[in-house]
Amino acid sequence: MAGIVFHNYELDECCYKVRLALSMLGLEWQTVAVDAFPGSEQVSPLYLAMNPLGSLPILKDGGLVLHGAETILAHLARSRDPSGRWLPAGGGEFAGVMQWLVFSAASLSVTVRARSSALFDTPGDEEAPRASAAKALRIMDDHMTARGFDGADWFAAGHATIADIALFPAFALSRDYGVDHDEYPALRRWARRFRAVPGFMTMPGIPDYH
Amino acid sequence: MTMTGGWHPVALSTSIEPASSAGTHIGGGEFVVWRDGSGAAHVWEDRCPHRGMKLSFGFVRGDHIACLYHGWQYDAAGRCRYIPAHPDLEVPKTITVPAYRTVEAAGMIWASRDPEPATAPADPGEVVPVRSLYLAASAETVLQVVEGFPPRPFGGDAGPAGLEPVGANLHRLDIGPDTLLLGLQRLSDERTALHIVIAGPAETYSGEGQKHFLAWTAALRHRLESAPAADAVLSTEAV
Ligand code: FES
Repeated sequence: MAGIVFHNYELDECCYKVRLALSMLGLEWQTVAVDAFPGSEQVSPLYLAMNPLGSLPILKDGGLVLHGAETILAHLARSRDPSGRWLPAGGGEFAGVMQWLVFSAASLSVTVRARSSALFDTPGDEEAPRASAAKALRIMDDHMTARGFDGADWFAAGHATIADIALFPAFALSRDYGVDHDEYPALRRWARRFRAVPGFMTMPGIPDYH
Repeated sequence: MTMTGGWHPVALSTSIEPASSAGTHIGGGEFVVWRDGSGAAHVWEDRCPHRGMKLSFGFVRGDHIACLYHGWQYDAAGRCRYIPAHPDLEVPKTITVPAYRTVEAAGMIWASRDPEPATAPADPGEVVPVRSLYLAASAETVLQVVEGFPPRPFGGDAGPAGLEPVGANLHRLDIGPDTLLLGLQRLSDERTALHIVIAGPAETYSGEGQKHFLAWTAALRHRLESAPAADAVLSTEAV
């Protein structure tokens, strides 16, 4: 069976990236619900065997067992999107997508820490991650302001790519960690466009305007 | 209320699309800026009369804005028209959100609490938006840094730059052949938004011209943030 099996925790924004990609690419998949909170099931021996980092999401596709949302997004786009739109092969666009995927996994991961310390009461200083998160969002807003002057609506191409999918949750969920949308006008406009992409879905913390 | 008299810019016109909303601050007070489906802009207190939630978290449908929490809907005049929990109720007309006079000029949305504000911000003709720049400094400090660190002109050689007020919160920055208009929004005593447009035709400035001045805004912000003693230095110089 070559089906996709996705190990998911509903409140995890990295799992949300994968749900968005599965849905926007129009794929079929099977979900396994993981009791990440309070059960910490992702660090049980069973899950550590699949991902020694003890994190979610995890996706199985045939013989592949993948972890890390950005890796999973790239795999889904490359293996399931024959149009190549979600992960363009062309020089500049491919490089742009990679740059923002790495940004999402590295610089923007501070938003995951800021949110988990705000929501799940994980120990640690709340103010420092919040300030770093606001700064990361500002880098995104600066970029999208400049893109607008080139008549481009998306982060890395003339259409939505997996870079936009990877970046959306951190902005959409920023109120969870106390950063408002007020000072990111270019991201507000981008997020409105993103919501209109076929296959868009919300998660807890992101209102559905029905 | 925390909004002083006169007109205050709250956003670039292009930042608030039809049927969308955003939160903002003036003098520490919270406001919602929204545009209805027909394109008219509104500035209200950002507080739902039901339980005090922020209306800027809500969403716009047609000429109503709806609160995210329990769906109360308000018309363009700020009056509550619909309460989902009581769909048949004739909503009492006392349930209203304080609304401010709102105009659009110089590519910006302006609000005033005055019933008859003296003069609306002058219309400078065609403008091209650059951006809203959010800065952790007082409005006075921001103006001093702008004056001491003006952009190079887009089209010509660097010439003398001149910064002059053309309204309470609107400044004109002439640099060689180019003119920028700067709307100054006092978010709080130590936080300021600078709404920046180019006075001139899109034909000249669209694209490269916008990017030229965008690069200046990043350098300006960097300058403000990398000189923690800027306030002190500038005020000494001013003496
Ligand atoms: S708080 Fe706005 S509808 Fe209840």
